[in-house]
Amino acid sequence: MAVVADTPAKGGPTIRILDEGDGHYRPPDPDGLRAFVRDNKDRRLVDKRMSEQDAISRFVEDGAYVSYDTNVWRRGPSSLMREIIRQKKRDLWLAAKFSAHDATLLTAGGCVSKIDVGWMETGRVITEAMNAGTLKMYEWTNGALAYRHLAGALGVPFLPLRYVGGTDVFRNSGAKLIEDPYTGQAVCLVPAVNPDVALIHVNQCDIYGNARVFGPGLAPVETAMASKRVILSTEEIIDTAEIRKHPGATTIPYYIVDAVVEAPFGCYPGTVPGLYRADLQHLMEFGVAQMQGKMDEYLEKWVHSVASHTEMLEKRVGLAKLNLLRSEETHTEGYYT
Amino acid sequence: MSTALAFTDNEATITYTSRLMEEDKLYFVAIGGPPLLGILLAKQLRAPAIAYVVEDGTIAPQVPMPTPPFMIGAGLASSRAVAWTDMNTVDFHAGLGYLDYGVLAAVQVDQYGNFNSTFTGGTYDHPVRRFGGPGGATEIAALCWRTVLMTRLQKRKFVNKLDFMSSPGFLDGTPRARERAGMPPGTGPYRVVTERAMFGFDDATRRMKLIAIAPWTSVEEVLADMEFAPIIASDLGVLDPPTDEELDILRTQADPTGRTIAGEWIMLEETDAGLRRVVTEAAT
Repeated sequence: MAVVADTPAKGGPTIRILDEGDGHYRPPDPDGLRAFVRDNKDRRLVDKRMSEQDAISRFVEDGAYVSYDTNVWRRGPSSLMREIIRQKKRDLWLAAKFSAHDATLLTAGGCVSKIDVGWMETGRVITEAMNAGTLKMYEWTNGALAYRHLAGALGVPFLPLRYVGGTDVFRNSGAKLIEDPYTGQAVCLVPAVNPDVALIHVNQCDIYGNARVFGPGLAPVETAMASKRVILSTEEIIDTAEIRKHPGATTIPYYIVDAVVEAPFGCYPGTVPGLYRADLQHLMEFGVAQMQGKMDEYLEKWVHSVASHTEMLEKRVGLAKLNLLRSEETHTEGYYT
Repeated sequence: MSTALAFTDNEATITYTSRLMEEDKLYFVAIGGPPLLGILLAKQLRAPAIAYVVEDGTIAPQVPMPTPPFMIGAGLASSRAVAWTDMNTVDFHAGLGYLDYGVLAAVQVDQYGNFNSTFTGGTYDHPVRRFGGPGGATEIAALCWRTVLMTRLQKRKFVNKLDFMSSPGFLDGTPRARERAGMPPGTGPYRVVTERAMFGFDDATRRMKLIAIAPWTSVEEVLADMEFAPIIASDLGVLDPPTDEELDILRTQADPTGRTIAGEWIMLEETDAGLRRVVTEAAT
């Protein structure tokens, strides 16, 4: 049987900060979030459906800290990101926790000035923006960013973790190394992040924002809870009666959500597993455009020359392609079955 | 199983890594890339029950073979898992000590097994080449009991000083350096695998140690492609080239689009003195 040690005497060593990173970071503000929630978040069941234009113009301000889940390759809010580019939002600070080329698209659109990066697809656009001084990166890791969102979701200013320390990530970040007052060992702290706005693409939700996310994910729940504003794009809107029939399937409840944007194929060109596969042809078109320095043409074709996601699907993708992407996503097990 | 005489550097590295994998261990890998192919090869060929956990929260999936194109954006990558969780949850599992091995690809590595996946050349703010970033490698390398790194044997990759230390090996190599930086004890780099040399780490100094080479190369050739001099094991092992069977699985089952296994070709010929690398125009 394990021996349980006595509780140590109080008044042990004070917490010492052993080392600190030099990075610039969004300071945690749990009380600010609480006050914002008290004053701005609707507790009533109200219909939150709106167009992507309204959602982005109402809830994404220039200079905002924006977090999204997952990414443009898989169950990400691609249509909302295109609308951010269309509306020429500026000076955004992105949380790129396992991002794909989302950050590249938004940077090419002139929307981004700072990125907290865990991992993201990089290339010419990012390197050129960094070297031009228009984009500043702050190095974190996927896990550390997901964990900072968890701290934000818990409403605490920081959380301890057992990595990041000792690396150049630590040096370039807002992490701190302290002496743990319980064990006396070194442990790392990372600051909570409370994004101004979260963009989350979900499989299903009702008009109030009670949402279901299927499949593995990065941190959709933590991201929604940590953020002041939450915009959901959804593959489909379902009845609240259906939500109430399977409450265990709801991962984000309505009062956290500010906007519900109906967006079938909302992750296009990426996949929503169980519904449609990724359009590899489109991803290659994007890759070639970036390599050739033709991102302006790409954005003109896929974003600026169409007024909405629906118009992009109709005029640029076409019904035949959409049907193909659906029919070739043969793996539905675990999602809708 | 006959020895293949033509394969890419990535195929060799994946094969050697795959041969390290055991069924009674739990692996942590990124969503796609060479480490996952190593596991899929081992599962297909000799250890079908190997379980792995993916950064996106997928636990012990059974990916259908042949694998779908663009695994990183394919739902099938998570198919027939025992659980779909999320990134924080699987990182917690690693933090609790359930994950035996993290298998990771590295851009640059130093003699203590610290590695870089952030940038090379220039400065952090003005990089010559910017890569994707640490991803999950930092937590995987900190929390799994052992870390296996996969990279190419090149002087610009085995460096005295990293351009950026994204993820931890033994840090400065001093005793308990990882613990002093807040990492759990008993963890650290275990192997560094390349297309023609495999390294471990010396218990006393935590410096990288050459433990095996391919039969078609020599210690001198290996050292010529490293900035730092590793310790050299007295009983140097042999990295048998990939077999036809291993390559067949890699090419037709694990990576049928050839996206990840593509690389520099290595052509061998059998001579009286053993296997020799043929350097031809076509081989590069």
